[in-house]
Amino acid sequence: TVSTSDLLDRVSEHSDMIHSLSTILSQDLDSQLPPVGRMLLPRPSMCHTSSLQTPMDKEQALQISKSDLLSLARSLLHAWADPLLFLSTSAMTLPQLAQSSVSNKIQELKQHSQTLGDGLNILSDRMGQAAQAISSLPYSGGNDLGQDKISKLINLHFLLSCFRRDSHKIDSFLKVLRCRMANMVPEMC
Amino acid sequence: TTHSLPGKPTLIRCRSPEKETFTCWWEPGSDGGLPTTYALYYRKENSDTVYECPDYQTAGENSCFFNKNNTSIWVNYNITVVATNELGSTFSDSVDVDVVYIVKPNPPEKLRVVIMEDNGYPFLRVSWEPPHKADTRSGWITLIYEIRVKLEGRNDWEVHLAGQQKMFNIFSLRSGGTYLVQVRCKPDHGFWSEWSSPSQVQVPEYF
Ligand code: NA
Ligand code: NA
Ligand code: NA
Repeated sequence: TVSTSDLLDRVSEHSDMIHSLSTILSQDLDSQLPPVGRMLLPRPSMCHTSSLQTPMDKEQALQISKSDLLSLARSLLHAWADPLLFLSTSAMTLPQLAQSSVSNKIQELKQHSQTLGDGLNILSDRMGQAAQAISSLPYSGGNDLGQDKISKLINLHFLLSCFRRDSHKIDSFLKVLRCRMANMVPEMC
Repeated sequence: TTHSLPGKPTLIRCRSPEKETFTCWWEPGSDGGLPTTYALYYRKENSDTVYECPDYQTAGENSCFFNKNNTSIWVNYNITVVATNELGSTFSDSVDVDVVYIVKPNPPEKLRVVIMEDNGYPFLRVSWEPPHKADTRSGWITLIYEIRVKLEGRNDWEVHLAGQQKMFNIFSLRSGGTYLVQVRCKPDHGFWSEWSSPSQVQVPEYF
């Protein structure tokens, strides 16, 4: 069996990769979105995960217990399982230019998220009852990106900008958790 | 002389050195020929309240510094600069900023280069510390490092990626050569720092 500190190293490699990929994807799409599309983007409060209470700065983040850090990361990741599946099927219907650059990266995101989820499940089993709580954040955005090219790009861009923020949260919580669990080895972090 | 409204100011950059505070800088527009004052206003996502810059002093001219109490992450700040003279005001384009996407650390500190020896051949042992503002110990920020080395008087740097290590050995030195060494760092998600100021070391003559 993998040691808990190795497991934390591995999961934070995946969360790091997921956030980096989502950043590249957002930037790809940003360059394809015409100015009028940018003005029509929904506000971040419309993200389906925005109701989850998360820390707003370092001071708050460092006060959260280890099991709550893991629980927040798992809740966010879990909330993206359905929309990522939806994204991976609907990326095929994008206009040509967007499709080639987006499709492969979304598949990669899906795979890393799956692996990350498996790792976090093992961790939460090891950390006991409190770490297993998950907040339900259902995605009700439907499973159609829209009819015309601009709508599709806007909806995709919006979803990815929500995911980009959430994946940064997941990555940050896991890296703080990793250092907290390693506090016996001061040079780890 | 003709007087006019102030020219349009431009928000040129916002940066956070450690994901805990941030600063924005602007460039004044053309001069309207009258005394002009500048103010920065911001509104946070999910709120209609408009605030004025909390600190125009700390980061120097044409800047606004947000300390820890005024800095939240994972929330957009909508920022606008307003230039005002006695004829009226001109607004900059507004910019949306989430602090997590503008992290650029200060350069690493306490760069040390010492000459060591391996089987009669010298090598450089380069070591450094993270910028003191970056809280790497709690995991709040994770830094990787890059070192560059060149012979004094030459133009070509040799670049090495050190990963998260704070120490790096450089081999294959020129006998009697004087080397310049610099180090920089990059957060897990963000921009490379500037290079540290160089450290210089002379390799002894050897054969
Ligand atoms: Na200032
Ligand atoms: Na703060
Ligand atoms: Na960051």
